[in-house]
Amino acid sequence: MAGTGSGPALAPPTQVRALGPWRAAAAQARTTLRILAADRSAVVGMVVIGAFVLVALLAPWIAPYGPFEVAYASDGGVARLSPPSASNPFGTTNQGMDVFSQLVWGTRVALLVGLVSAIGSVIIGTLIGLVAGYFGGWTDDVLMRLTDVAFGIPFLPFAMVVISISRPSLPLIIVLVVFFLWRTTARVIRAQVLSLKERPFVWAARAAGASDFKILFRHVAPNALPLSFLYVAIGVQTAVMLEAGLSFLGFGDPQVQSWGIMLNAAFRAGAMRSAWWWVLPPALALSAFVMAVFMISRAYEEVLNPRLRKA
Amino acid sequence: MGAVLELEDLRIDYRTAAGDARAVDGVSFSVDAGEYLGLVGESGCGKSTIAKAILGILPPNARVAGGSMRYRDRELVGLAPARMRELRWKEIALVPQSAMNGFDPVYTVQAQLDEAIVAHASMRPQERRARLEQLFAMVGLEARRLEDYPHQFSGGMRQRAMIAMAMVLDPGLVVADEPTTGLDVIVQDQILQRIRRIHVEQRKTMLLITHDMAVVAENCDRIVVMYAGQVMESGREAVFREPFHPYTLALCNAFPDLDDRDRELISIPGVPPSLLDPPPGCRFAPRCPFATERCRVETPAPVVVGPDHVAACHHVGRADEFRRLARDPSTWRERVDAA
Amino acid sequence: MAGFRRYLIRRLLLLGFVLWCILTIMFALFQLLPGDPTSMFVDSNFSQEMIERQKQLWGLADPVWLQYLRYLRNMLLFDFGQSFFQNEPVREIMVDKMVNTTLMIVPALIVSVIAGTIVGAVAGWRRGGPFERLTVGTSLFLHSAPSFVVGILALMVFSYQLQWLPPGGMVSLGGPESAWEMLVSRDFWTHLALPCLVLVSREITGPILLLRSSMLEVKGSDFLDILRAKGLPERAIVVHATRNALLPLVTYIAVMTAMLFQGQVLLEIIFSWPGVGRELVQALNDLDYPVAQAALYVMALVTLLLNLVADLLYGVIDPRVTYE
Repeated sequence: MAGTGSGPALAPPTQVRALGPWRAAAAQARTTLRILAADRSAVVGMVVIGAFVLVALLAPWIAPYGPFEVAYASDGGVARLSPPSASNPFGTTNQGMDVFSQLVWGTRVALLVGLVSAIGSVIIGTLIGLVAGYFGGWTDDVLMRLTDVAFGIPFLPFAMVVISISRPSLPLIIVLVVFFLWRTTARVIRAQVLSLKERPFVWAARAAGASDFKILFRHVAPNALPLSFLYVAIGVQTAVMLEAGLSFLGFGDPQVQSWGIMLNAAFRAGAMRSAWWWVLPPALALSAFVMAVFMISRAYEEVLNPRLRKA
Repeated sequence: MGAVLELEDLRIDYRTAAGDARAVDGVSFSVDAGEYLGLVGESGCGKSTIAKAILGILPPNARVAGGSMRYRDRELVGLAPARMRELRWKEIALVPQSAMNGFDPVYTVQAQLDEAIVAHASMRPQERRARLEQLFAMVGLEARRLEDYPHQFSGGMRQRAMIAMAMVLDPGLVVADEPTTGLDVIVQDQILQRIRRIHVEQRKTMLLITHDMAVVAENCDRIVVMYAGQVMESGREAVFREPFHPYTLALCNAFPDLDDRDRELISIPGVPPSLLDPPPGCRFAPRCPFATERCRVETPAPVVVGPDHVAACHHVGRADEFRRLARDPSTWRERVDAA
Repeated sequence: MAGFRRYLIRRLLLLGFVLWCILTIMFALFQLLPGDPTSMFVDSNFSQEMIERQKQLWGLADPVWLQYLRYLRNMLLFDFGQSFFQNEPVREIMVDKMVNTTLMIVPALIVSVIAGTIVGAVAGWRRGGPFERLTVGTSLFLHSAPSFVVGILALMVFSYQLQWLPPGGMVSLGGPESAWEMLVSRDFWTHLALPCLVLVSREITGPILLLRSSMLEVKGSDFLDILRAKGLPERAIVVHATRNALLPLVTYIAVMTAMLFQGQVLLEIIFSWPGVGRELVQALNDLDYPVAQAALYVMALVTLLLNLVADLLYGVIDPRVTYE
């Protein structure tokens, strides 16, 4: 099929050894971190993500209010739409909730959705890619047709319809995001396996009498793993954006306070015109998070494909 | 019958992270009208650099450090880019290495040959087409292949198409840079024969660059032997029949001789010197089995050893002895042990 | 080109298969709705006559498998039934909204691809220069920023704060109605400016980054030396290089179009642009199921078709591609 799929064109990893593939993988991991540390934007990205992770972990101690807790002004009334002040550094919403606290609680949601979806989709995508690429033939055809169908469905519209039909909940959103994300990983891993399959070390293993599963998981998989990691990074970015998008459109989980939900509430209350302090924090937090992950995954991509490296 | 191409004390440097490497160090030779000159030497001796310099397509990190290159008495060194562009292809054309993909993969072969014509001459489309068909006939390709894409040609056919493209504007000088690397021997022979035929039939002045001594012996009128950026020996058939320079002797040894099939193939041990910091004295001295103290200290000047035959060696007087010794493999092996 | 024809047929079959899968999934989803399945297609607001008509169209009295077949037939014939909320057949609504969406996407895409190609090619050709560094830096920044956030910020700054551009909608009230009138009215273009700009700012980065890296690869090619040796001016050589560098862009356009509808829905909501995406959101809010189904189907269909076109285009542009 001409010109299918997306994803970077990759040179196969140079350290390909049949013995101790996991040790080779560990060595590669160390090299990777070293190269990443040299890239300025990647370092910035990692610092930013690190900050978000810290905030998420320390949320109960950092956030002065709960996610849906209403803040009261000094006169006893609900503090609605008040601009940033000492007690509420980012001001309050139209329902009197502290924006800063919401932002902090939202960090947890972002990380949860991002990591769970990304890891889940990459596991599924990698397995499918490995099996399809390695066994070929009928299995490959069936799995690839499945992937084609997945590619044909535009995510946001489909997810909105599904959520409408059932109930909006975070687990459902995560499932939908996983359903959307695995397709790219599957295609790319499959392409990688196809090229790895022809390598001498696979023939050698087969000649030595190793079973298919052994070859697949002991020899082929470790060499395809670096690619999977890349897609975890890309997946986190996409997952967070998708959840934010869905929530912004009003299909998010109302029991959760995510950045997308905040933006949705702000948008519906017309805060763009009147309460910038409500709009900017979640907007900027979302951008910062997504861009930071992007910088990291881009630097990692350069590790995998040396041709992309700057002169 | 003047000189079509004259190189005089040409020096070319490559700028590298470790300093300047002088790839061409004081090379002088000339090619007369209608002559077929062979420039021969190992990889890295500077011969490809000279080819690129003549065409004016040196890479950005290379520069002509001194000397002169003259095409029909026009100085090429320091020539304004616009003037150089006019000269290119129309006067001086290149047949590149066959390993190179000299054709743009997304345009048809015809389009690319046309492009060369259009850049320098104004011909009507029918005239152009007629010329292309004529050229393809000259190199033995079917005219209908003109509409094909380069990837549809075999290696040998592509090289023939490149020859046709080089001839398209009837240039005054054709430079063939290793035109047969990467081709199998039968195709190599065909290509070289074709080039030779063009040379004879059209009295084309040609410069053939190769590492293969046997090829030069078969095809060329004159030969220039290069090593580590310098000319070691130059002349006519005498260079093969009676070589004077030890390096030429070594090159002759490295290739099989059909007349003397049992002769052992002797390769030259060692590697060429670093061009960043070349050794004083004769460049070949470190690998030369006949080198003396003088060779290691004093750079030999070219010595006339016969009619139109020059060698740069201090010991041209002992050439007979060297020729005899060179045939014996142990001469070269000793060198390795001593090194 | 027998190979091409066979490939085309195979791709069309694949497209049909995928479409069938999607429709089946949709049908199954709607059947899963708790309560009476007829509430998918019939609303209590309808007149008795309309109720009968819809029952006929969707075979609501028939067994499920027959409903399924009717459903497939209707979808393929673009016969979507009647909207619950708007007193119109869904098909008319769809056509109208698709035109609006197209009016926003097409100019943005054209500008992004053309301008992006040129900027990216030049950036790649002038590797290491200030232009390349600036271009790559800006592109990376804009590429990773979530487009709907950019949209919100743009709206806040340019519309509400600076008041340079209208805050949404496609045309002002009482403005031009038909597509042709709009294209020549200034009102339309001022409304289009901001959403289009936001869309371009995101979409242009893809071609820029891609062309740049593609050009870097092409720059190392041998044939460029020969072109220089042929005495061609720099401009002609850059064109040759760009033609070669374009190839990956075609695949990318397929990816781009697939993702287009995501961003489109969000932008249409932010800028209140009356397109298909916004229609879907509103329909879901209003529980107007015929419209929602139709919108989803239309978006899926367009995505698949664009993918197919990009796939085929690749073979046209790269003469080395053969179809087995």
